[in-house]
Amino acid sequence: MEKVHGRKPRMLALAASLAVPLLTPPAQAATQGETLVNSKCITCHAPAEDGQLARIGDSRRTPEGWDMTVARMIISHGVKLSADERAAVVKYLADTRGLAPEETDSYRYLIERDFNRVERVQGEAQLAFDTCARCHSYGRIALQRRTESDWAKLPHYHVGQYPVIEIQAGGRDRNWWELATTQVPAILGKLYPNDSGAWQQWQQRERVSAAGTWRFAGHRPGRGAYEGVATIEADRAGTDRYKVKFQFDYADGQRETAEGEAIVYTGYEWRASVKQGSMDVRQVFTLSPDGQTLSGRWYENGIDAIGGRLLAARSGKGSAERLLAVEPTHIKAGTTQHVTLYGNGLSGDVNLGDGITVARVVERSAGKVVVEARADGAGKDGVRAAAVGNARLQQGLALYRNVDYVAVEPEQAMAVVGGGKGPLPKVPVQFESVGYAFGPDGKQGTADDIRLGYFPATWSMINANAFAEEMQDTAYAGTLRADGLFIPGDAGPNPKRRFGTNNAGELAVTATVDDAGRKLSASKHLIVTLQRWNDPPLR
Amino acid sequence: MKNKQQSTLRKAFALGIVGLGMSLLSQASLAAKDYLVTAVRPNKLVVVDAQARQVVKTHEIPNTAPGNSVAGIAVSRDGKVAYAIHNRWESVSGIDLETGKEVFRAELSSPDIRAKAHFAIDVSPDGKELAVYVNPTRLKPGEYEVLDPYIAIYDTAAGIHAQPVRKLPAPRRATTLAYSPDYKRLYTFTWDMLVLDPKTGEQIGSHPWKSWKREGYGEPDSLSVSPQFEQTNEFATPYFIQHKDKDGKESLRAGIWALDIEKDTVRFSEFEDATVMFFSTAINPVRRNEAYTVYTQLTKTDLDTNTLLKRVDLDHTFYTVNVSSDGKELYIGGTINEIAVHDSDTLEKKGTIIVGRGDQVLSSMRLVRR
Repeated sequence: MEKVHGRKPRMLALAASLAVPLLTPPAQAATQGETLVNSKCITCHAPAEDGQLARIGDSRRTPEGWDMTVARMIISHGVKLSADERAAVVKYLADTRGLAPEETDSYRYLIERDFNRVERVQGEAQLAFDTCARCHSYGRIALQRRTESDWAKLPHYHVGQYPVIEIQAGGRDRNWWELATTQVPAILGKLYPNDSGAWQQWQQRERVSAAGTWRFAGHRPGRGAYEGVATIEADRAGTDRYKVKFQFDYADGQRETAEGEAIVYTGYEWRASVKQGSMDVRQVFTLSPDGQTLSGRWYENGIDAIGGRLLAARSGKGSAERLLAVEPTHIKAGTTQHVTLYGNGLSGDVNLGDGITVARVVERSAGKVVVEARADGAGKDGVRAAAVGNARLQQGLALYRNVDYVAVEPEQAMAVVGGGKGPLPKVPVQFESVGYAFGPDGKQGTADDIRLGYFPATWSMINANAFAEEMQDTAYAGTLRADGLFIPGDAGPNPKRRFGTNNAGELAVTATVDDAGRKLSASKHLIVTLQRWNDPPLR
Repeated sequence: MKNKQQSTLRKAFALGIVGLGMSLLSQASLAAKDYLVTAVRPNKLVVVDAQARQVVKTHEIPNTAPGNSVAGIAVSRDGKVAYAIHNRWESVSGIDLETGKEVFRAELSSPDIRAKAHFAIDVSPDGKELAVYVNPTRLKPGEYEVLDPYIAIYDTAAGIHAQPVRKLPAPRRATTLAYSPDYKRLYTFTWDMLVLDPKTGEQIGSHPWKSWKREGYGEPDSLSVSPQFEQTNEFATPYFIQHKDKDGKESLRAGIWALDIEKDTVRFSEFEDATVMFFSTAINPVRRNEAYTVYTQLTKTDLDTNTLLKRVDLDHTFYTVNVSSDGKELYIGGTINEIAVHDSDTLEKKGTIIVGRGDQVLSSMRLVRR
C-alpha cells in the first residue's frame, strides 16, 4: 500500500482536528457538555418559550453532523471552544439530540465513508434530492431531523454562506431559490421531522455498555475474509469511552492488531480511532440495542476506500452461540472443498444445507470450525443456511453448477489523484469480482439471481470512451494491480498531457473469472478525478 | 515541471519590478496603446502593455482578505481607474492605474448585513457612476436571512467611504451589468437580459434568455461571469442548448449569443453539436463576424455563417479572452499567472505574458486604450 500514501498532509491534520476527537480523551463528564451549551451557545441561541434553545432545539443530528455544526460555529462565528470542550459539546448534543438507530439505517454508508456508490431516491424526496443533492450527498440531509420551519431556514444559510449557489450549474437551470424556500422545506419537514416516535422510544431505552470480550469476522476488499477477537474495556465509568484491542487474523494467514480508543454516542454510535498494523484506522460501528453485536465499517483515515466490514458478537462467559460467517461462501456442484465457519460458542453438528455433505471435520474450536464439504453433483443452485449446533446463519453456503455471470464491485468506482507534490493522499479503488448464478428463471439481472460471493479474477483496463482514448487516459490516470487495486496517478498538472491537464481520466476495468475452464468477464466504469479539498465528515 | 514553474515565477517577479518604474502617461503621450487590466491573488491589480508583452504596473489593493481572489473588474472608459471586487467579495475599490492610489472604496457589508458582489460591475460611460450588483444577507442571532439583491449605484467621486447614491431593485442571479454607451440603458444579465433605466431601475426592455422560445429548442445555459465587451460594445457569451430536429434526433448545440449594447440588438449563432467545454467569448472589434471562445481550447467561429472557423488547443485552462484594438491579437487569461497571446487570424500562439506570482483565477481581464 505504500504507493497510495502521499506526503503527510497538513490539511488532513486540520480535518482530523475537526473530526470526532478521540486521541486526547478529556477529563469530562456529561454535565460539562450541557454547561458549555448553556453558556456558550445560548449567547446567540436564546431559549424559546418551551425552554429549548433556538435552532438547537429544532433539530437532531448524528455525532458527525453535530461536530460539523460546532466546527462551523468555531470557524465562522467565533465561538471559543478548546478541543476537549468541543468534544464535550458534541457528545452532549449527539446524546440528547441524536438519531435513533432506525433513523440512520439507510444512510450508514455516508457515516462509514463508503463513497463508491450512486444515491437514488423515489417519490416526493426527488425534488429535495434534485434541489440539494447536486452539491452534497442526499444522505447528509437524510441524517438530520428538523422542524419544517428549521428546514426552511437552511436555504437562507446556504445562499448567505455560498452566494454562487444560484448561478452554478445545477442552480441556474431552475428557480433554485424559489424551490428551496417554498417547496422543499415542507417535504423535508415531513420526511425528516424533528419529533419522531423512533427517537422518543430510543430515548426511553436503557443504554448498554460495550465493555467485554468479542469475537468478530468480516471481509476486507482486496484481502478477503478475516476473523478475530476483541477486548473492549470501559475507560472511566459513565463517559461512554473505551480502550479497545482487536486482533485480526486474515484467511491469507496474516495477523494484524488494532489498538486505540472508542466512544459511543447516542447509546449506539461506536466511533474508534485505532492503530491497525501500520494504518491509522477509524471504526464506524453500531452497537445493537441489546448490546450483543457491533457491526459496521472501518477505513484508513484519509484514504476512505481502504477498509472492510466487520460483524462482532459477544464472547466469553454467558455469551450466546452465534455463527458469524462462512468462508468461502460458495461451493461448486460435484466438488469437495474446505469450508470455514466462524462464530462464538460453536458446538454440535455442522449442517451446510441440502445437497452439501460434511465429509469430515478438519479442525474445530468454539470460535471456528473447518470442515471438508462435498457438494452433490445434482444439487440445486441456491444459498443454504448454515448451522453449527444451535447457531444458524441464514446466508450460509451457496451451491452452484456454473458461475453464470460475474459483476465487478464497487457499484460506482471513483479514484482520486493524490500524492505528487500535493498535500492529499491518493484515494484508490479496490475492485472485486463477484460471481452470480441466474437462479430458477435462467435470466441475468432478475430478483432470483444468486449471489455466490467473491471469485479471484485477472484484471485489465482500457480507455472508457473515444475522448479517453484521445487523451490516453490509460497511460496517465493510474495503474491497476494484479489484485484489482487501482492506484490513481499523481496530483497536479501534467506537462506531458494534452492541455497540460492533470491525471484525471475515464477507464473501463475488466475482471475475468475462470470457472472450471470457462472464462467470464465483466467491466466497470472507473472515474479518476481530482482531489477533494473540502472533505467534511459527512459529504 | 518544478524548474519550469520556478523559472516562470522568477520571470514574473523580475517583470513586476521592472514594470513598477514605467509610466502609463509617458507611454500614452507617444501613441494610444492597448493595456490589459487584470488581477492576481491575493491583492494585486496588474496593468499590462499588450504590445510590449510587459507588466507595466502592479498595484496593491489595500485592506483585503488574504487568500482570496479578485472577482469582477471594470475600468473607466478613459482607462484611468479600475474598480475591482475583492475582500471576500465584500468590498469594491477604485484604483488609480497610474499611481496605484485607492481613490474609491465601498464596503458592501455593514455590521449585521453581509453583502457580496461577484462579477456584475460596470462604470458609466462618463466614468461618474459605478453600478454593482449586491447580494445581501442579514446575519441574525442563530440564523441568516437572505435579502433581495439590488444594484448599488455609487458616485465615483465619493472617495474611500462611498455609500450608494441609490439602490435599484434587481432580480436574483445577475452575473453581468453593462451600461449602454449613451447611458440610457443598464443591461442586467439574469434569467433574461433585462434592460433597466440606470436612473430609476425601471425595467424598460428585455431580451429573452430563459424565456427564449424557439420550436425544437430547450432553455439555453450559460455561466456568464467574464465581462469583456469593451472593445466592441457587444456583450457575448457562449451557451449550450438542447435541440430536437424534425426527425426527433436530439443534440446539445453550442452557440454564441451576443447583445449589441450600443444598438440594443441581439444576434446568435449556433455552430456545432457541443463537443468541447467553453467558458467565455469576445468578439473581434475589426472583423465583427469573428468570435473567440476559450477554455482548454481556443475556438474561432463566424457569427454570420454559423460556422466553426478554427480550433486550437491551449497550453492549459483559460477563462478570459480579449481582442486588440486592431483586431489582430487575442489575449487569453484567467486561471493561473499568465496571459497567452495568439494571432486572431491563424490562432497561433505568439507569446506569453507572466502577470505576477499569484493566480488570476476568475478575475476579469479588461482592455483599455490610452
